[in-house]
Amino acid sequence: MSEKFDAIVIGAGHNGLSAAASLAARGKSVCVLERADHIGGMASDRMAHLLYNPLPRGVQAQTRKIDTVSMSPDGKHVVLRDGIASYASGEAHPDATDFKTLHDRLVTYAALLNSLAESAPPGLDQGLTSLAGLREMSRLAKLGIGVKRLGTPEMREFLRILLTNVYDLLLDEMPDGPLPGALASDAVRGAFAGPRSPGTVLTLMYRLRNGGSVSLPAGGMGTIANAYADAARKAGADIRCGVGVTGVIVEDDVVLGVTTSDGGQLLAPAVLSSAGPMQTMQMAGIPSFDIEAVRRARNLRAKGTTSKLNIALKGRPEFTGLTKEQAKSRLLIAPSVAEVERAFNPAKYGELPSAPSLEMVMPDGQDRLSVIVSHVPLDLKSGWTEKARGTLTETVIAAIEAYAPGLRDQIASTDLLTPADIAQLTGAPGGHWHHAEMGLDQMLTTRPTVGMARYRFGVRGLYLCGASAHPGGDVTGMPGRNSAAQVLLDGVA
Amino acid sequence: MMDGRIDTDSIAAVPTGLIPGPVQSRLEKISTAKSWGNWAGYVSPLVLDTVEFEYFAIRNQTTLFDVSPMHKYRVTGPEAQAMLNRMVTRDIRKIKPGRVGYALWCDEEGMVIDDGTLFRFSETDFRLCCQESMHGWLLDAAWGFDVTIEDESHSIGGLSLQGPTSFSLLDAAGLSAVADMKPFDLREIEPGLWISRTGFTGDLGYELWTDWQKTGALWDRLWEQKQPWGLRAIGSQALDMVRIEAGFMAAKVDFQPVLRASRLGRGRSPLELGFDRLVDFTKGHFNGRRALLKQKESGLRHHLVKLEIGGFKPADGSLIYHRKKREVGHVTSAIWSPTAKRNIALAELKAPYGGEKINDLWAEVYVNEEGIWDKRLVPVTVVTDPFFKNDRARATPPRPF
Amino acid sequence: MGQHDRYDAIVAGAGHNGLTTACYLAKAGMKVLVVEKNDWIGGAAVSRSLHEGWTYSNCSYVCSLLRREIVRDLELPRFGLQVIPYEGGASFTRDGDYFAYHSDHDALRREIARHEPRDVDAYDRFSQTVIRQCRFIRPFLLRSAPDPTSFKVRDLQELLYLVKRAHGLGAKELAETLRFWTMSIGDFLDEHFENDLIKAHLAGSGIIGTGLGVYSPGTAYVLLHHYMGDVDGAIGAWGFARGGMGAISKALGDCFEEADGKIVTGSGVDRFLVEGGKIIGVALENGDEYRAPIVASNMDVKRTFLEHTDAKDLPEDFTRAVKRFKIRGSSGKLNIALDALPEFPAAPKNASFLRGDLHCSTSLEELERAYDDWKEGQWSSNPYFDMLIPSQIDPTMAPPGKHMMTVFVQYAPYDLLADGKRSAENWTEERKKAFADCVFDKIEEACPDIRQRVVHAEIRTPRDIEREVGLTEGNIFQGELTFDQLLFNRPVPGYANYATPIDGMYLVGSSAHPGGGVMAAPGANAAREILRKLGKTTSNVAAAA
Repeated sequence: MSEKFDAIVIGAGHNGLSAAASLAARGKSVCVLERADHIGGMASDRMAHLLYNPLPRGVQAQTRKIDTVSMSPDGKHVVLRDGIASYASGEAHPDATDFKTLHDRLVTYAALLNSLAESAPPGLDQGLTSLAGLREMSRLAKLGIGVKRLGTPEMREFLRILLTNVYDLLLDEMPDGPLPGALASDAVRGAFAGPRSPGTVLTLMYRLRNGGSVSLPAGGMGTIANAYADAARKAGADIRCGVGVTGVIVEDDVVLGVTTSDGGQLLAPAVLSSAGPMQTMQMAGIPSFDIEAVRRARNLRAKGTTSKLNIALKGRPEFTGLTKEQAKSRLLIAPSVAEVERAFNPAKYGELPSAPSLEMVMPDGQDRLSVIVSHVPLDLKSGWTEKARGTLTETVIAAIEAYAPGLRDQIASTDLLTPADIAQLTGAPGGHWHHAEMGLDQMLTTRPTVGMARYRFGVRGLYLCGASAHPGGDVTGMPGRNSAAQVLLDGVA
Repeated sequence: MMDGRIDTDSIAAVPTGLIPGPVQSRLEKISTAKSWGNWAGYVSPLVLDTVEFEYFAIRNQTTLFDVSPMHKYRVTGPEAQAMLNRMVTRDIRKIKPGRVGYALWCDEEGMVIDDGTLFRFSETDFRLCCQESMHGWLLDAAWGFDVTIEDESHSIGGLSLQGPTSFSLLDAAGLSAVADMKPFDLREIEPGLWISRTGFTGDLGYELWTDWQKTGALWDRLWEQKQPWGLRAIGSQALDMVRIEAGFMAAKVDFQPVLRASRLGRGRSPLELGFDRLVDFTKGHFNGRRALLKQKESGLRHHLVKLEIGGFKPADGSLIYHRKKREVGHVTSAIWSPTAKRNIALAELKAPYGGEKINDLWAEVYVNEEGIWDKRLVPVTVVTDPFFKNDRARATPPRPF
Repeated sequence: MGQHDRYDAIVAGAGHNGLTTACYLAKAGMKVLVVEKNDWIGGAAVSRSLHEGWTYSNCSYVCSLLRREIVRDLELPRFGLQVIPYEGGASFTRDGDYFAYHSDHDALRREIARHEPRDVDAYDRFSQTVIRQCRFIRPFLLRSAPDPTSFKVRDLQELLYLVKRAHGLGAKELAETLRFWTMSIGDFLDEHFENDLIKAHLAGSGIIGTGLGVYSPGTAYVLLHHYMGDVDGAIGAWGFARGGMGAISKALGDCFEEADGKIVTGSGVDRFLVEGGKIIGVALENGDEYRAPIVASNMDVKRTFLEHTDAKDLPEDFTRAVKRFKIRGSSGKLNIALDALPEFPAAPKNASFLRGDLHCSTSLEELERAYDDWKEGQWSSNPYFDMLIPSQIDPTMAPPGKHMMTVFVQYAPYDLLADGKRSAENWTEERKKAFADCVFDKIEEACPDIRQRVVHAEIRTPRDIEREVGLTEGNIFQGELTFDQLLFNRPVPGYANYATPIDGMYLVGSSAHPGGGVMAAPGANAAREILRKLGKTTSNVAAAA
């Protein structure tokens, strides 16, 4: 006899866990299957370090809001706190007012867009006659009213900048330097895009839904994953690690359950996959999908661009021009918008960046520097040889050392994860932070692909619940939660 | 030449304009009409001599037509059957090795991409013949399956030998081994020569398949038996008449292949084209299945039907009216059938016309009588059987004529 | 000193859009004056004889976008306009091969198959998508863009029209449309094709005239912008105007003068005269003044408001919006007189595709790198160009046996980087020559004898185009074709209906919806708005039916 559940969730990343929690909270029996021997997926210390987004309801964890410092080659580092910019020396920043105005405007707009992120993307196929269609329309109308409430000038500004690029947005308001550089690097971190790419204002807003602050989880990213897991368990979900899903059982176009790596099978009328679209198709069998759907999944843009360098230290490095306390902030090396754009160029051609944009933190109480390196290509032309890994590590260390003299002598060891490593370790498509590029062409109704935007994934009972689904990446749990809501709405579980 | 340049003489510039098929030199000699058309970039005869006589040769003697320009794809591999079964709407597991089946395939919305004939050589070896270029679609359809797709369009030639005396002619040409072949049988009669008992005439006929280079010799071999079986080479116009009589639809005429339509809403489902029997909802998933199920529930939008039209003037392009008032569709193909002696047509009607509603339909026929246009409303009858039917088409072994 | 003539309307700038507006207004019975700074009319649609015996279309050089409704309304063929489609095109490789874009579909399929059999059907799929998108967008070209923030009946009507059209696409096609509009041409081509050379050949239309790279989102739309025209109903086809692009301006000018319009050349607008928030006329650089209650500016939005309008006559936020409107110079041009037809050793003798658009770019990566150079203020060291020899088809362009070649070059910055500084002033004669040399080196890849054939060459940098034509930064579209500058955002949110904050003053050039190219749609749409405002009938202005 095979075990039976109301729903099976593939993958115990935060989205899988979030989906499981939502379903379990509604009284459904849920089993989460994780191929690795631990939960969390990409939400682990080795791969991530900061939260850009609020934790969902029900997920409890200690976090600490931290400042951002954008390093300046001339030593006049810029400290950012809640949209207020000043020099690290305490001196006022000449562009602080313009920056604040822009920052607040983006935060306001981002809050409006939040209503879109919180449920399935607006469908286009419901028509106006059905109840579901009316619900859709009322949700869109709510957004419309919110936008309208901004007043005509702000509404026009909203519509103008929504699809534009962060390069122009920033440099229209202030001269180039570490201050706009910081926002530009936030806009493109994790993305296969440079500040000049249209769509980067939207990705920036996506990051600003939390009011523009970043938080350091107490005890590291692993605790966040654990908090998600705790919430799911508390609701009654059964989480099993070390059990991979080898296939989704489909009969007569209906999901019956899954087969597992231990040779068993579990039955459920609903299967939610936090894997990418192509991996999910392969689990359920390519013949179960339409040819166009497979083609779209093949063409999904998911080229990871983010590397992680973990530097174990023998002591705490000192950053010239920063106090010890300031050095505990999120440190950015993004000296100008132009530099961030320049850093993207090599990634386009499968080459290593020579001056990458960096985000680093020293987690509390640890002698460890955690560095996120932007714009590292997945498909390095020369291949990810030891030599290439060494070159990238050296480039990053040299870039940091320019601000922290003597850093090199304090290094105990380094651990580099390239996008290819991340893909291999977590199964994230292309090692992409967001499982699929958050480009304008892969958002909302077209995320992850045309015809697959509402979590339903072809076969009845099969759903996507990972970051490749709307609203997308970062540790938000929202794709998981929205997907679970769709499952409940469809009445399959 | 600059250093590093490749030898430009080695680049064979592609030919522009129409290119000859494998038997063009023979056709040039026969043709008195000098009426040529474009078939997939090849020169193809529209009429070789006189369309009426070519037509009667199909119905009365036997005829030869070069079908080499047709698109032909070889699909091989352990998953060839699975791959094709996901692509087409019918269950091809029912087409056994050595058999040929007619099939349609759809896009994800259930709209017909094309129709064609599927030749099954073995468990793992198929050939798909169709009007539209399908290489790109087959490659997409094959993704994820253990199969190989090969475009044989320019390496395999085909001759269509159609008519009541076609068996007798094959017999005379030393190919009597086809005698026991039933309709839709496929067999390698001689090494490198495959013959199928197929055609688009509704009558006895065969298609012969061989290497492109050997097609000319094959033509000659048949041509030598011209007498006494009345073999005549024909053009596509005569063939078009017999396929309408047989009730077969033609791509781009009776339906628009959906991948080539630049306007929205031009696609038609196999159900709308009247091919319910070739859509198998029980065989597992196939492309467009979900959309077709939905359409089955919500209702068809159109019906492609066979019509018998009043009067004697072909109703090509005519609009169809209900109660002489409401426009409900149009004729897609029409001829005066010289064999059935009826005025026949294929037409697309907006549902429910052609479905539940088939009474009180009228065609508006315009006739140019030496410079004066005459407009007539003539009655229309929806028919279900082909306009041409003859039991010699199915008799095995075939009768001599 | 100044002379005071009164008119019903004045058009500032005799570009094709200004002349189009002028024609429609004059044909509606108004007394209209067109003023033009140059001694000739046409703006960027001109035929100029800069070397005796040769005619250069020295700015715009091919025609497709010109709306057929306008051509018919204004009876331009009666005034000599003849547009002849050209035959295909080609992209040459460095090693002596080429991809020929045959106009004959069967030959094109054979040529694609020669390079990559898998791409043959992909091309038809690509065309299907592009043509569908063209069909969707074409009706919007001759309509004003609705203001989504407005509750005015007309805006709501236009908005409803848009929603209806979008709804008519159905769920899947609408999603595909949203996707297409937000994609990069590079990604779009990568989805369809395998072969680099074929992709490079098709990609050019996605970047011509813009400050974007082939992988910048939104460039699929730019490609559409180049495909949405037609020659005699053949969507996406391009042709030559017989006698050069000036033939279009000449026809418009003649049409205007036949309708009793008056054109004054040789002195541009110095400033727009405003009184109490109302336009009252224009003052020219030569001191002449003309009065009219309606003034239409064919100049781009920046030039109109930042250089020739008193800032105090404009709301501050409007001026700010105009300042941040992006008009980026990204292209240069070579106009070349040749003593004979240059040789293309790779191509068959007399190949018909040589009578089309020729290129030497071989991959998307090469094109994207060309963009990277431009971002840094340099001309592309390995540039993309769109090269044609119109004299092969149009005998009026060069003396018999001689030829004229036009080479549109992407990218060339306006504010060239030199000695660590970016400035338009850096375009010295010496650097212009170096720029041209870079282009000639590249042309030699296809055409080794090109330098020997040159009789005369005009080198045009964005700076030169700005100086002569008046286009800010030499941008051919009077403003980037990005999302923030299209439809209701073009040129300034809230002012997409050709009106401006100054009562009676209109913007009729390509800075306005639907944007650049020799389309004349902004000019016609603006004329419609003006006539509507005056309570006159608008049914004669480019009605789609």
